[in-house]
Amino acid sequence: MLAHTDEILRSSERHAVGTTVTPWRAIGVCLVFSGALYGAVLGSWSTRWEQMLFSAIKVPILLTFTGVVCLPSFYVGNTVLGLRDDFVRACRGLLAAQATLAIALASLSPVTAFLYASKVSYAGATLTNGVMFLGALLASQVTLARHYRPLIARNPKHKVTLVAWMLLFQFVAIQLAWTLRPFIGSPGMVTEFLRPESFTNAYVDAVEAMLMEF
Amino acid sequence: MTDSTDAPAGGPFALFQDLDRLLRGRYTSEEALRDGRIEFPARRLIFLCIGLGAFYGALMGLYSVTTREEGEGWMQVFASAVKVPLLFLLTLIVTCPSLYVVSALARSRLKASATLRLLLAAIAVDLALLASLGPVTGFFTLSTDSYPFMKLLNVLFFGAAGIVGVGFLQRALRTILEPEVVHVPEPQSVLSAEGDDESESESERIQFRQAARMTRDTEASMRRVFRVWIVIFGVVGAQMGWILRPFIGSPGEAFSWFRDRESNILVAIFKAIGDLAQ
Repeated sequence: MLAHTDEILRSSERHAVGTTVTPWRAIGVCLVFSGALYGAVLGSWSTRWEQMLFSAIKVPILLTFTGVVCLPSFYVGNTVLGLRDDFVRACRGLLAAQATLAIALASLSPVTAFLYASKVSYAGATLTNGVMFLGALLASQVTLARHYRPLIARNPKHKVTLVAWMLLFQFVAIQLAWTLRPFIGSPGMVTEFLRPESFTNAYVDAVEAMLMEF
Repeated sequence: MTDSTDAPAGGPFALFQDLDRLLRGRYTSEEALRDGRIEFPARRLIFLCIGLGAFYGALMGLYSVTTREEGEGWMQVFASAVKVPLLFLLTLIVTCPSLYVVSALARSRLKASATLRLLLAAIAVDLALLASLGPVTGFFTLSTDSYPFMKLLNVLFFGAAGIVGVGFLQRALRTILEPEVVHVPEPQSVLSAEGDDESESESERIQFRQAARMTRDTEASMRRVFRVWIVIFGVVGAQMGWILRPFIGSPGEAFSWFRDRESNILVAIFKAIGDLAQ
């Protein structure tokens, strides 16, 4: 698995850009294990093992389910724009980028654990994880750019599908993260897999919170 | 892309093979469009449109299952699965004659049946994208309780799918009107201004100007037809959607197949934006 991790990050050998065979299973395993590792650390702020376990389950769900939900429209978008011949290559790029995000998160887990050990507050823990996810997201863009560069050079329409994918993916991921919370474990609240009010809307709640501030 | 995908469709996946060919533009190749031909199995495509629309409609109506009594919720799922394909097909029936007249006035090479097929193809593309966004709608349906949000999300997805359908239509129309253009090379002798070629260059210059004028006229004609089509189809489609509502099912209201005719869709969208934060 470590060899695959290294190759995913370098986009080399079995995970090189333009290879004909995609090691889907290896990418999936990297994604799930790395996500679970970061999830366990993410939930460790509460010092409750149940929260660590729940977060270890929920982070890989967050990283994979969003892609599954968005994939059908990505497929249709590629087909309509005449990019179907490149669809497998495009999917490989998206999957590699997602695996890179999970690996980057896992690599940042010692930093998160260290900050937790420094007794950061709940708000500090939330901010820490926000920064970690942002950092991992930027790392994933490097892999995505490597895979998409030759595709865009061949047909600039790939830019359209890529931007559409990113917008839709973020739109769904935010709601899914909201639904799957808690990840850190708010102090004073019991540990549970999902909050009773989980099935509300992240965007509506954000608008309401902003309106209450002003 | 393999040649096997061009083979006649057969077997249980025939419908999806047809859709795949349509999305890839196999049924609307430049050669066929220039001859004014749009050849695809229209009946199978209608079935496919019904299936895709019903799939998305069911996911729209699913919101009611989470907010209403069980029986009423599932009735809404069924009603929406019926109404979404109906929305598109009724709009097609209502607009097709006027769209054909506009197209014929602009001297497009599309006959009445080809016009109908082209519009059906655009609707199939539209519905294919809408159905592909179905999982996203289903996810939000099950994870949110905000009715205004669901309304706006569906407006957004219908709009996005509509834009893709319109893009498909625009590409096809451009090709259909293209053969009327006569391509004449720019007269080199005029540019070089050779004395011996004076009379010949004059005739080339006239030909070149005529061709350029025809190109401009054709482009303007294409834009005109396209704009008129979009306006007619958009207005009728939006109003049809308004008449056929509810699709999602307001949480505070009992199930009904149709609502009273009041207001219009634009007012409803602005109201949903206002309700979002309440």
